[in-house]
Amino acid sequence: MLGWTKLAQYILAVAMTSIAAPAGAQDYPVKPITLIVPWPAGGATDISMRAIAEVAGKHIGQPIVVDNKAGGGGTVGPATMAATAKPDGYTIAQIPITVFRLPLMQKTTWDAQKDFTYIVHLTGYTFGVTSNADSPHKSWADVVTYAKQNPGKVTYATPGAGTSLHIGMEQIAARAGIKLTHVPFKGGAETNAAVLGGHTTLQADSSGWKPLVEAGKLRLLMIWTAQRSKNYPDTPTLQELGYPLVLDSPFGVAGPKGMDPKIVAKLHDAFKKAIDDPAVQDTLAKYDMVVNYKSTEEYRKHVGETIEAERKIITDLGLARTN
Amino acid sequence: MESLANVALGFEAALQPVNLLACFVGVFIGTLVGVLPGIGPVSAMSLLLPITLTGSPATGIIMMAGIYYGSMYGGSTTSILVNIPGEAASVVTCLDGHQMAKQGRAGPALGIAALGSFVAGTFALVALMLVAPTLAGWAVAFGPADYFSLMVLALTVLTFLTQGSMPKALLMAGVGAVLGLIGLDSITAQPRLTFDRLELYDGIGLVPVVMGLFGIAEILHNLERPLARDIVQARLTQLWPGRADWKASAGPMARGTLLGFFLGILPGGGAVIASFASYALEKRLSPHPERFGRGAIEGVAGPEAANNAAAGGAFIPLMTLGIPPNVVMALLLGAFVIHGLQPGPLLMTQNPALFWAIIVSMYLGNIMLLVLNLPLVGLWAQLLRVPYNVLFPLIVLLSIVGVYCSSNNVFDVYVMIGFGILGYLMRKTGYEPAPLVLAFVLGPLLENNLRKALILSQGDLSTFVSRPISAVCLAFAALLLIAPLLPSLRRKRDAVALDESA
Amino acid sequence: MAAPRVPAAPRGGADVWAGLFWLAVSLGVVWAGRDLGIGEVAAPGSGFLLFWAGLMMSGFSLAILWTAVTAGGPGLAALWAGARWQKVVLTVASLAAYAALLDRLGFLLATIPLMLVLLRGIDPVRWRIALPVAALSTVGLWWVLKRLLLIQLPAGAFGIG
Repeated sequence: MLGWTKLAQYILAVAMTSIAAPAGAQDYPVKPITLIVPWPAGGATDISMRAIAEVAGKHIGQPIVVDNKAGGGGTVGPATMAATAKPDGYTIAQIPITVFRLPLMQKTTWDAQKDFTYIVHLTGYTFGVTSNADSPHKSWADVVTYAKQNPGKVTYATPGAGTSLHIGMEQIAARAGIKLTHVPFKGGAETNAAVLGGHTTLQADSSGWKPLVEAGKLRLLMIWTAQRSKNYPDTPTLQELGYPLVLDSPFGVAGPKGMDPKIVAKLHDAFKKAIDDPAVQDTLAKYDMVVNYKSTEEYRKHVGETIEAERKIITDLGLARTN
Repeated sequence: MESLANVALGFEAALQPVNLLACFVGVFIGTLVGVLPGIGPVSAMSLLLPITLTGSPATGIIMMAGIYYGSMYGGSTTSILVNIPGEAASVVTCLDGHQMAKQGRAGPALGIAALGSFVAGTFALVALMLVAPTLAGWAVAFGPADYFSLMVLALTVLTFLTQGSMPKALLMAGVGAVLGLIGLDSITAQPRLTFDRLELYDGIGLVPVVMGLFGIAEILHNLERPLARDIVQARLTQLWPGRADWKASAGPMARGTLLGFFLGILPGGGAVIASFASYALEKRLSPHPERFGRGAIEGVAGPEAANNAAAGGAFIPLMTLGIPPNVVMALLLGAFVIHGLQPGPLLMTQNPALFWAIIVSMYLGNIMLLVLNLPLVGLWAQLLRVPYNVLFPLIVLLSIVGVYCSSNNVFDVYVMIGFGILGYLMRKTGYEPAPLVLAFVLGPLLENNLRKALILSQGDLSTFVSRPISAVCLAFAALLLIAPLLPSLRRKRDAVALDESA
Repeated sequence: MAAPRVPAAPRGGADVWAGLFWLAVSLGVVWAGRDLGIGEVAAPGSGFLLFWAGLMMSGFSLAILWTAVTAGGPGLAALWAGARWQKVVLTVASLAAYAALLDRLGFLLATIPLMLVLLRGIDPVRWRIALPVAALSTVGLWWVLKRLLLIQLPAGAFGIG
């Protein structure tokens, strides 16, 4: 319990701080910043964003607190932010590619071009497909053979409908002439458990499977980058398996529409410094993620290009929204 | 023995002054955020994460872990004293804990809660040491269909929570599940039942719901009568649990610990289900089930033990598989990774000293918590001597702050007021809030897993009975539902009902 | 949970009204579930569980209504016989006003008056006690949150707090 004199001191301290003027863009930030990560805690995105947020917070002078709002293939978080947060720079979100893609597939509550203030582009994923080490599926060819005999029986867990993993697997299945069953989870921690427990045949996810693959509990069947990974030199890429695809779903951070450019610049600088930090790059490297920096202006342009490219893929797969 | 040498290494590391200090700071902050309802370990841990990164990995992680299990100790304090549960798992503690406080037995209730926490926490650690690798498989053994059936079983447990009309309890469960589904659909991102209110896109928060239904409703109910001071009896008959209390609590604690430990390993909702299940189990086993809801100490000892054992069990999937079963564990995972460590199957073999240092520090932390909390029991119990007309505004203040801090949004304060009114009217008309809260927590999990299970089985409903775990859960649920209809068991329920209407 | 003074039974008349209310809610849920799309068993839609939960809730509401109608009993008003409902309304109203003003006034400026209203308005506490309790509890909690736990409470337009 506090003594009376102590309490008096605190009351005095209260009075002192109260003299401070209300804060504007100049003083930003005066309180912790919330960074919405639209995936369950513990996946590759979550951990890499925590590492980045930690360093960026140091540079901007206030802690950047990660808030996990998972669901809808990573769109629930940004959609909630776009709908509810004030553009004061205290709420920002990681923007996965589903934010651009889902509006092409179904009715959504947001417009990717209009409802966000894009801040900085950060990095991209290494995606891979794994099977349980105890399962008979030792290579992708095994899966294809099995799926041809048992259409629809091969199930795969992804972090959600409309994610690059979902779209990618459907593209692959279409080219291989097989039918797979998609099961949407909320993120890496859940898809790991699904394939580890044998509930789904396969897992298609970003590199959150890494420790389990290294421990020999999961088997990495393929990787979706352009080149083989240094960490898994024996795992073939999609291209080597005969599918001319490279999928990495680069991502950045954005805030609600209408943010003050001065605040955007401050955030941009802090995040830029964070991804240049060797410690952060080490954490990213753990998940086979590489820095993919784009400035505020480049990022905005990139969003438009991505949406057009996605429109073509979605239409080809017959997944485009009808209304 | 190699592992013994590793344990020794762990002791060496954990006993370093800096780590002892980190452990103490962690459990102290944990106790603080645990006592303040609504301010859970998550917000404290995310804000303090940067500070923990300055030291060695062991120091930082010891402190973070301390905040987590420390907060589990304090969680029951406000439930018992003023009927405000700070988290879903403490809702059950309200049922009998607050009744005990009203009868002047706040001391024994708080004492049993603290000791139950200690016993369960210590047991969970021993179990963690001995069987962690063996139980890793259990954490992922549950598929969507199994989860669905487990949730069905948990909701069936409702029949034992309720004292009054069964249809009313089941209706409240339905209402809770529907309220839980408000917000963007977790699979398709469609807004559901949001009435175009943007604030609802994120769903309704648990904290404002429980604080409204329990804390605020209780206050409104008490204010309605001229404030006879016996609402919370000022006379404190005893400060510590007596011999009879110990005897009554030993069994519930042991069963609660086991139940909590195993359910805690499961990702998602483990601690909540464990505390509700333990309460139901004790009520079922008790020769006097009619005492439950009226200040039965078993109804505090069992769930509190379950709650804390679950916190220990939750470390298993994180340490052995790198799969965090809840947000707090995920934060710890983040701390590990930022320190350059990767929890997973290899952690125990690659970093045995660190692993054991954390475990050993948790033993020490549990002892510190007991020493820290037992003297507080007396202090908290004295708090009830404060006249109710001074006490209730303080309860309101605590609720408002807790709700605001849980989301940083004034909208949640409105939600709390709304649920306060609803809870008040529910009490008036004989509806109980506990089933609503349980279903509110489990509803979204039930829905998500049901949909995934049906996609996986391609619409084949037999998946729920052909999978062994799922079948066992459903069989238990059926048994629980049928049991009250059997004549020999019926008498107990009738006794409860009679007592209720008397 | 029923407090000793509230008669637990019979309350058939009140139960009819409560039952009707919940029946309306249940039917609303059924409708919302249909509206969102039930989907099919192999691919359940967004409204799948809502639809079925709503149907079950309607069933329970009907069961409650049936019991209530057959049992009969005093109506809603009887539940408030002898109750100080004005105090309840005052408490709720002051809380609502507080929520409306919290962001504008800030935590300290809004909370101390709320505490004073509650302390003085329901069962008046002497000013000599009410004033220090209101001020110290508010400022104390604010300090613990801001300084010890680094949690920010609203500062309001005047930036106090």
